[in-house]
Amino acid sequence: QSAPIKWRLQTYAGPALGVEVIDQCIKDFNQIADGQMEIELFYADQLVPTGELFRAMQKGTIDAVQSDDDSMASPTEVTVFGGYFPLGLRYSLDVPALFNHWGLDEIWKEEYAKVGVRHISAGSWDPCNFATHKPITSLADLNGLRIFTFPTAGRFLSRFGVIPVTLPWEDAEVALQTGELDGIAWSGITEDYTSGWANVTEHFLTNNISGAWIGHFFANMDRWNEVPPHLQRLMEVCFNSSHYHRQHWYWNGEANLRVNETKLKSTTIPDDEWAKVEEEAHKFWDEIAAESPLKAKIVDIFKNYNDTMVKAGKPYRYS
Amino acid sequence: MSYDMIAIMMFSTMMLMMMTGQRVFGAIGFVAVTASVFLWGVGGSDLGFAAAMKLMKWYPLLTLPMFIFMGYVLSESRLADDLYRMFHVWMGPVPGGLAIGTILLMVVISAMNGLSVAGMAIGATIALPELLRRNYDKLMVTGVIQAGSSLGILVPPSVVLVLYAMIARQPVGQLWLAGVFPGLMMAALFIGYIWLRCKITPSLGPVLSPEELAQVSRAEKLRLLRAGLLPVIIFVSMMVPFVMGYTSLVESSVVGALASVFAAVIKGRFTRQVFETATRETLAISCMFMWIILAALAFGAVFDGLGAVKAIEGFFVDRLGLSAWEILILMQLSYLIMGTFLDDTAMLVIVAPLYVPLVKALGFDLIWYGVLYTITCQIAYMTPPFGYNLFLMRAMAPPEISIIDIYRSIIPFVFVMILALIIVTAFPQIALWLPEHVYAR
Amino acid sequence: MPNWIKAYVRFVDALNYRVGRFSMYLLFVLMGILLWSSISNILRQNAIWTLEMAQFTMVAYYMLGGPYSLQLDSNVRMDLLYHRWSDRTKAWFDAFSVFALLFYLGVLLYGAVESTIYSLEYAERSPTAWRPYIAPIKIIMCVGIFLMLLQAIAFFFKDVAKLRGEEL
Ligand code: NA
Ligand code: NA
Repeated sequence: QSAPIKWRLQTYAGPALGVEVIDQCIKDFNQIADGQMEIELFYADQLVPTGELFRAMQKGTIDAVQSDDDSMASPTEVTVFGGYFPLGLRYSLDVPALFNHWGLDEIWKEEYAKVGVRHISAGSWDPCNFATHKPITSLADLNGLRIFTFPTAGRFLSRFGVIPVTLPWEDAEVALQTGELDGIAWSGITEDYTSGWANVTEHFLTNNISGAWIGHFFANMDRWNEVPPHLQRLMEVCFNSSHYHRQHWYWNGEANLRVNETKLKSTTIPDDEWAKVEEEAHKFWDEIAAESPLKAKIVDIFKNYNDTMVKAGKPYRYS
Repeated sequence: MSYDMIAIMMFSTMMLMMMTGQRVFGAIGFVAVTASVFLWGVGGSDLGFAAAMKLMKWYPLLTLPMFIFMGYVLSESRLADDLYRMFHVWMGPVPGGLAIGTILLMVVISAMNGLSVAGMAIGATIALPELLRRNYDKLMVTGVIQAGSSLGILVPPSVVLVLYAMIARQPVGQLWLAGVFPGLMMAALFIGYIWLRCKITPSLGPVLSPEELAQVSRAEKLRLLRAGLLPVIIFVSMMVPFVMGYTSLVESSVVGALASVFAAVIKGRFTRQVFETATRETLAISCMFMWIILAALAFGAVFDGLGAVKAIEGFFVDRLGLSAWEILILMQLSYLIMGTFLDDTAMLVIVAPLYVPLVKALGFDLIWYGVLYTITCQIAYMTPPFGYNLFLMRAMAPPEISIIDIYRSIIPFVFVMILALIIVTAFPQIALWLPEHVYAR
Repeated sequence: MPNWIKAYVRFVDALNYRVGRFSMYLLFVLMGILLWSSISNILRQNAIWTLEMAQFTMVAYYMLGGPYSLQLDSNVRMDLLYHRWSDRTKAWFDAFSVFALLFYLGVLLYGAVESTIYSLEYAERSPTAWRPYIAPIKIIMCVGIFLMLLQAIAFFFKDVAKLRGEEL
């Protein structure tokens, strides 16, 4: 038997989050691969800084990556959709539906192949809500808030008077404590509790800007091609199991923590007022679509998908 | 070759490289990139530069040049002269009083800069000649200045705690506040030690003669007290807006730097020469630190790549089967030993990422551990064969103080520091009370 | 030593001195940016560019200032043995161990150039609200590391000269 294949995979997640989102699937893979292949796991910033993840994978410093397109600064056209594309998704099951049945998977694979990277699979990660110091009960409450968020959302939220603040992720907690930030729009309530932000904010807005963050596994194309087909398949299966774990981890957490935990008090903006945000989102989509034909194609898919969901009625859409 | 073997080889090669006298960052960087290219081929060649990109994002390090500049303005403009005279006059009648006054001076200086360099410079230029002239024991005073200046990294503001905060992902404000009481306690222990030694052997630290004391009028003594006001103003202008959340950490460091310049200008001591020296030396020391951290980050990344965290955890927990406290103590001991040989900045960047996850997993408070870590750093900084203080002392001390004197002088103080370490380990509330009190919601 | 070596050493020393003196004053630029950040914070006019601009300035500060700090000999060495040696012995050791430094700087430069080319090729931007292009700061880093390399080579020549009884 030849020497085992060794891979280095770096994730965007730190060790605390890693327990939920990556550890198990790597253990499973290594166990089943039974010495034929071994993946070594590295957490955020361990080998290379997250901003350099993509290049490090393209170059072969690391073999594989778990990340969304946005965090690893992927140089592809699909990057803008990688974080939470504003109100593109309502529920976490929307992501696998779009990727497996509406053609996003092919688009992602094609775009990444152009830059020497294999797109292995996409999964549905956490939703995006606000966690803030002051309660938000109407759109007007957003005006003037200094919110830590990711770039695409920052561009969008500034339409409602939000002042997007960019800080290193790990400094957000301190900035919330010192009052430098009024809140964050970065994750759902599950991660607010997991990462400790629930300790430094008081209120949680149940309206989400997006139902799920789209996250992926990628590999260096040459490394991927060197792996025998049965191990490629095993990798796909194990990575999908990690996406699946998130489905129920978040689904359970989002409801359970709102109801049974007390650190964050929930508030909601009335539906008719939140409809304005959705309306603005569609204008934002059109702006993005105007940037290139490929982006237009993806925005079209989002539109058609959402139309179908609305027409399908309950439980797919309630409004 | 097994990964553990490679890790051990990396460490020993680094030590060997250091022995050649090559610059510390060169020695560490060389081992880091060689190992990474050896392990990961062409892809590994990027690791050195990836560290530079990582370092760029460590924005709290923007405070580094500010705190260094602040220290140089204080020492170069001789703002500390009046302070020294104040402690000198007030402490003169006590056995070993001038040495005790020097420790107090060091505490005040520590509250006005983030490293030990300024305390060292002020101690060696102002206090040392004066103490020797008054027949203080040279071993004692050499030790006093080195030990006293080491408080610079424990008493806020502290660059070491900023570095630790980034590695352990803990709020700097809380860490700084946690350093306050342990710092004061350590100073008190130093003072206790000096007082006791001089009480037993008065010749070590002669009391000021009554004639000399009589020369200073009561009015003069009170006037001198005002010198103590300046540092308080600088410290408050920097710390209060930060702890209250009005300014961010890096902004506070700028406020501190500007406050020290302002103070020097008011006193009419901000000359062209002061400006030139402070600016130039700030660049020199900042560059030294940044290049060492840059190299150490690459070294740490390779170490991490070798799974050193798991190896260490496995070693302590599974192989030795130790309890949490035993592991903690063993870690501190290993750190102390490594620290005697190595540069403490590099140690912090290389070793802290290995230890901190384990400390957290064992359920210890990371703010408290930050204080333990800093005290260990202080000891590492003090102990030969390697330490900045030894390096600086050699450059600044008068010729009658030999290297052997410098080495010997630190011994009792290191024991006092170890005692402080034990006390803070046993009573975490010494560190934790203040941050918990201030940040309580 | 040959004339071209003397000329090289003189040129590199002078160049790095000038670049270093320039970057020395970046400290005040850094202060200015951070001060502006404080003021805009107080006015609640969040300036989105200050933090990153300060980071870029800091990088330029220590990268471009690096060679000058080498000239000032402020980079600590572990001198347990070193300080006891004669100047000649020091020169001998330095003349060899400097290759370790050169190797490190060489690999660093290789990574820097590769990374810069990537940034230019894909017009890489920082993933923040400000979204500045990354290439300019990477180019500055390349220059800084390259100047460090030149300075280290100059040190090597100086050591060789010293061993031959000359002073460059
Ligand atoms: Na200090
Ligand atoms: Na030491």
